[in-house]
Amino acid sequence: MAGVTKKQSLWGRLTNPKYIMVYATIAIFLVIYAFGAFLYGNKGFLTVRTFVNLFIDNAYFGISAVGMTMVLITGGIDLSVGAVASLTGMFIAYGTTVLHLHPLTCIFAALVMGVGLGLLMGWVIHYLNVPPFITTLTGMFFARGVCSLISRESIDIHHPMIDALAGWKIYLMKFADGKWVRIKPIAFINFNVILFLAMILIGAFILQRTRFGRNIYAIGGNEQSAALMGLPVGRTKVLVYGFNGLCSVLAGISYALYVKSGWNLSLQGGELEVITCAVIGGTLLTGGVGYMAGTLFGVLLKSIIPALITFNGNLLSWWGKIATGLLLLLFICIQRVITASAGKR
Amino acid sequence: MTMKKTDFSGIMQSKVTWAVIAEALILLVCFLIRPDFFSISYQPSTGMLYGSLIDIVNRSAEITIISMGMTLVIALGGTDLSVGALVAVAGAIALKFLRWDVLTYTTPGDYTVYPYILVLGVPLIVCALMGLFNGFLVAKGGIQPIIATLILMVCGRGIAQILTDGKQFTTGYSPFRIIGQGSFLCLPMPIIITVIVVIAVALFTRKTAFGAFVESVGVNPSASRLSGIKAGSVILIVFMITGLLSGIAGLIYSSRIMSNDSNNAGLNFEMDAILAVVIGGTNMAGGRFSLAGTVIGSLIIRTIVTFVYYFGIVAEATMAFKALIIAVVIVLQSEPVRRYFAKRSALRQARSGGAK
Repeated sequence: MAGVTKKQSLWGRLTNPKYIMVYATIAIFLVIYAFGAFLYGNKGFLTVRTFVNLFIDNAYFGISAVGMTMVLITGGIDLSVGAVASLTGMFIAYGTTVLHLHPLTCIFAALVMGVGLGLLMGWVIHYLNVPPFITTLTGMFFARGVCSLISRESIDIHHPMIDALAGWKIYLMKFADGKWVRIKPIAFINFNVILFLAMILIGAFILQRTRFGRNIYAIGGNEQSAALMGLPVGRTKVLVYGFNGLCSVLAGISYALYVKSGWNLSLQGGELEVITCAVIGGTLLTGGVGYMAGTLFGVLLKSIIPALITFNGNLLSWWGKIATGLLLLLFICIQRVITASAGKR
Repeated sequence: MTMKKTDFSGIMQSKVTWAVIAEALILLVCFLIRPDFFSISYQPSTGMLYGSLIDIVNRSAEITIISMGMTLVIALGGTDLSVGALVAVAGAIALKFLRWDVLTYTTPGDYTVYPYILVLGVPLIVCALMGLFNGFLVAKGGIQPIIATLILMVCGRGIAQILTDGKQFTTGYSPFRIIGQGSFLCLPMPIIITVIVVIAVALFTRKTAFGAFVESVGVNPSASRLSGIKAGSVILIVFMITGLLSGIAGLIYSSRIMSNDSNNAGLNFEMDAILAVVIGGTNMAGGRFSLAGTVIGSLIIRTIVTFVYYFGIVAEATMAFKALIIAVVIVLQSEPVRRYFAKRSALRQARSGGAK
């Protein structure tokens, strides 16, 4: 068989053991969803609206998690995403409300800032050999400090274009009695959800179907061998951090649309939530392993916990943090068992 | 003559030297702008010394104490992200024991519901156990330290909130006030505690073989296991020490505000502590560590913050300045830049040698 390239069937590809963590994430999501349905099914947990709200309320985390997954696959980490997203919100809020600029100008400025900072951090990480943790931590301090320099108070965003974009929604319809009607209770998809799903697809395409994506996996697997094979390690790493900067800015735009304001302390600790999403989606922090499908379900899994707590109504929201921590522990143990048994084989 | 020059270039290559130079430069700038920056005055009414320098050392106490443990963790090649959350947990437990039930003891006053020994002891024990939990995941579970400690970082604040039912207690218990606001030998108590902790950790690591064990495990865990070092126990002890030190820092923090603040206590402490260690010249990849460098690193971070407060720059913007100065220090310390300086000094030496 060696040397013969055989095109695998779809089933063969899907049952590849390398996807096992992704399936574990999906399975646990389904178990928790079924658990919620069992407990709160009569309160409307099973409605399409509850499910769609998981996307709407966490789209900005998901968008950021796309870039974070790539960074983690290279074996790096980016702690600046929350602060950069927050700074994007400040750009839009301060620009439109105080400086009366067009939102697109502000978004352009934010893109230049975010991607520029990402590329700069990538350059420092690779060419100056400074640990990613420290580099991006400095980036986080910088972005957060600039947020506070712009304004220390929350600024509302009032602009026709932002209002239109934030208010734009597609109602989910069903076909009944010979015509299309809105499903009850009303559920809709907004711009954020579409952006989130689009970014997941783009991320999956980059990772699975481009040379750049394969370089990312190769670097995460073993940076030295990747360099010895002649892969452009430096360029790839710098571009990955740049792409993550882009994702942070898009997440910031999405968050600004969601809350319609900019605040210098918004999304504090957001970077860890995003990393948590990626880790419970099966991405290894040691690098080399991670899939966008896993990240998608990681985001859903992380967001279903606050939803369950809201449905319960009696629990303090702090239990959400503890539950997320336990979930993280569970996933790390599963990963550990799987990698250990793979090593034995 | 040549010998001396070689020594000098060796010093210039050392990361600790750069940290000392950076701290000296920042202090020099402070002095140039405000000549009274270095003045220290004695206040007879409180029996304490006052001044910016005292304030810097005093306020850096929590980070210095935590980063003593963090230095060891980083020397092992890991990071501990949970320290900030443990600070919040320690404060929550201490205040819980001081006030216990707000409905029965409605007003905060100079009393404690449970014996003072429990107020101090239980938070420290719980934090040490949480550190042990981190260490267990790393040593026995074989999990990367950054993920293992992410768990407690995520749920630690939740635990602190649940312990206090999401409430914020205040207290007026005077023995508790001493930890963060009292004084001893004219110096603020946190400085005294910091000095004791630094000396204790230094003695423990440098006067016993433990420091060498830590460095050896950090460089190569399997090789050190083969040479008879119990890597697992070393990891467990290091994480437990870090947990315990976070607990001490948590007591100091909550004694300063005489309250528990599960949302903000110890916020970003893990980041500051890691920065202090790295600025102090300990490599994040593990191996050799420098406790003295870490103390200077922690002082640099606090000096920047004090500098910003002192000159009336918006408090929240501190972070931007911190980032800029740290960026300069880190770039100067980075391998290529140090290699460049080493090459230049070697060239100069070769040239002067040729002239002779």
